[in-house]
Amino acid sequence: MQEPLISVKNLKKYFEVGKGAMLKAVDGISFDIYPGETFGLVGESGCGKSTAGRTIIRLYDPTDGEVIFNGKNIFALSRHDMAEVRRNFQMIFQDPYASLNPRMTVLDIVAEPLDIHKICKNSKERKERVIELLQLVGLNDEHAMRFPHEFSGGQRQRIGIARALALNPKFIVCDEPISALDVSIQAQVVNLLKDLQSKLGLTYMFIAHDLSMVRYISDRVGVMYLGHMMELGESEKLYDDPLHPYTKALLSAIPIPEPEVQRSKKRIVLEGDVPSPINPKDGCRFVDRCAYAIDRCRVETPEFIEHKPGHYAACHRIGEI
Amino acid sequence: MEKILEIKNLAVSFKTFFGEVEAVRNISFDVGKKETVAVVGESGCGKSVTANSVMQLLPMPPAFFKTGEIIFKGEDLLKKSENEMQKIRGNHIGMIFQDPMTSLNPTMKVGSQIVEGLVKHQKVSREEAKKKAIEMLKLVSVPQPEKRIDQYPHEFSGGMRQRVMIALAMISNPDLLIADEPTTALDVTVQAQILDLMKELQDKLDMSIILITHDLGVVADMSDRVVVMYAGQIVEQGLTEEIFDNTSHPYTKKLLASVPRLDMKRDETLVSIEGTPPDLYIPPKGCAFYDRCDFAMKVCKDNMPEFTHHSQTHASRCWLSHPMAKGVKGSEK
Repeated sequence: MQEPLISVKNLKKYFEVGKGAMLKAVDGISFDIYPGETFGLVGESGCGKSTAGRTIIRLYDPTDGEVIFNGKNIFALSRHDMAEVRRNFQMIFQDPYASLNPRMTVLDIVAEPLDIHKICKNSKERKERVIELLQLVGLNDEHAMRFPHEFSGGQRQRIGIARALALNPKFIVCDEPISALDVSIQAQVVNLLKDLQSKLGLTYMFIAHDLSMVRYISDRVGVMYLGHMMELGESEKLYDDPLHPYTKALLSAIPIPEPEVQRSKKRIVLEGDVPSPINPKDGCRFVDRCAYAIDRCRVETPEFIEHKPGHYAACHRIGEI
Repeated sequence: MEKILEIKNLAVSFKTFFGEVEAVRNISFDVGKKETVAVVGESGCGKSVTANSVMQLLPMPPAFFKTGEIIFKGEDLLKKSENEMQKIRGNHIGMIFQDPMTSLNPTMKVGSQIVEGLVKHQKVSREEAKKKAIEMLKLVSVPQPEKRIDQYPHEFSGGMRQRVMIALAMISNPDLLIADEPTTALDVTVQAQILDLMKELQDKLDMSIILITHDLGVVADMSDRVVVMYAGQIVEQGLTEEIFDNTSHPYTKKLLASVPRLDMKRDETLVSIEGTPPDLYIPPKGCAFYDRCDFAMKVCKDNMPEFTHHSQTHASRCWLSHPMAKGVKGSEK
């Protein structure tokens, strides 16, 4: 078996929200990410998928848990050692408008990681590297001296990607990188991400709520609900044969762009909304909306276990339903 | 079919510092009674401007109507005064906006926002209006409406807020509901709830819906007919089945192919539409899709294609479907 690039163990991130209340955004998730793969993370808004992504690269300090990278727990590293390790981690953000400084030129934006880590010896080398990066993402040298407002959404996302690639990272967290873009531009950016992955051997964690896009881009997919990992498996298997009732409901809600299929398909409609993640109750997080819930689900949190090779789920009733 | 709304040759522009932006360029389509018409396209294609033109919610200036008529139940809305329009907005046409967070007033109780319209337009007492508001919230499946009616928008989740928006739009039993990206800000599971609710209410109340969206899955689910817009023009329109199964315009084809399907193999490449839509300061003389089209021909550059009708209901604006272009595959520029 291949060694994982990143191994997440029992990761927890709580936020204090006053009066002793705890918002348990991520509450004990564990999984491995292998080199060269794309790990998709899906779930509804508020399920903790973005918090998980940010905590894994230590943009947030975790409440508990470990992330093992190169044999070391990165949460235990000193500030100095962390700076070294951080070169390997990068992030692409959702909003291409908010994530680029409007007062900096593209050259300075893309070169910022190089400056921080003091990679380039002189300004000529710096500029060359930036142009190389811009060309890699389908822009060219004449774009270097322009400002972000001169670019369209898709181009800005390319600038964000160029910046993320500047330090030759191993692992990139893509947090909803395409949700702010138009359908036709989404495909451009996704194809670019796939190209870069095969060229540079990158490993992605792809966070999104667009389930069809996640299936398309990911090798394996994890489904989160209220801070817990509900199911995890190879993307095609998970989509074709979901085990967890929540995954089933989530997948059945995807509208399919084919009228006959869409209108004849049976939809599992979930009643109500996602409950609040503040001081959640024991037991399965999905219990109040689950059609198969039994008493045991209310008392005992189901364990996250391997039901088929490489296919994990947390539900007491798998096999019965 | 009885037509409830006819848009004829509508052109809307915006005056800006740099010149005139032709946001909507001579579009015509109609909506029948109890029919759902989806308007699809990318941002900036003019779909929201079209919706806001019907409601006359565009800021004027900078916006102005260049030509056209919007006939609603036999009368031209563009000739109405603001007072008359207010009556129409309050009684006959309802609208749901994309972002339920910003389109409800955060300082007003949800109940008061619903009651406000009723008291103004239907001349009912506050108590009666409140009763009706509770009924309406029940209809859109907001649990405990008696209690919820005295809460503020921030106490509602996104899905619940959108239900309130729908209640607001539907309170006066409108004949036409304009839904501008009603589920874009919502999660898929909530989206499914809201779409089901809209269908149910449409059946109950016999209304027509104009659904503005970029999500082709939602279109497949909801609409009877589809209008595809690009760069301020309609490039193709037809019955939903015609658009999905007999796609004619290269833009529609690419749009459909750029969405990943659940049955797609992972090694297939997603079709992407290279480039970006043209700038509408100086709209292109010929076909607006020319720069991005795989099949563009010489004629496309400077000559605007007319509509070719493929059936009574299905038409597209492309030189390739012109009768003279039979057998032409379209070549590189």
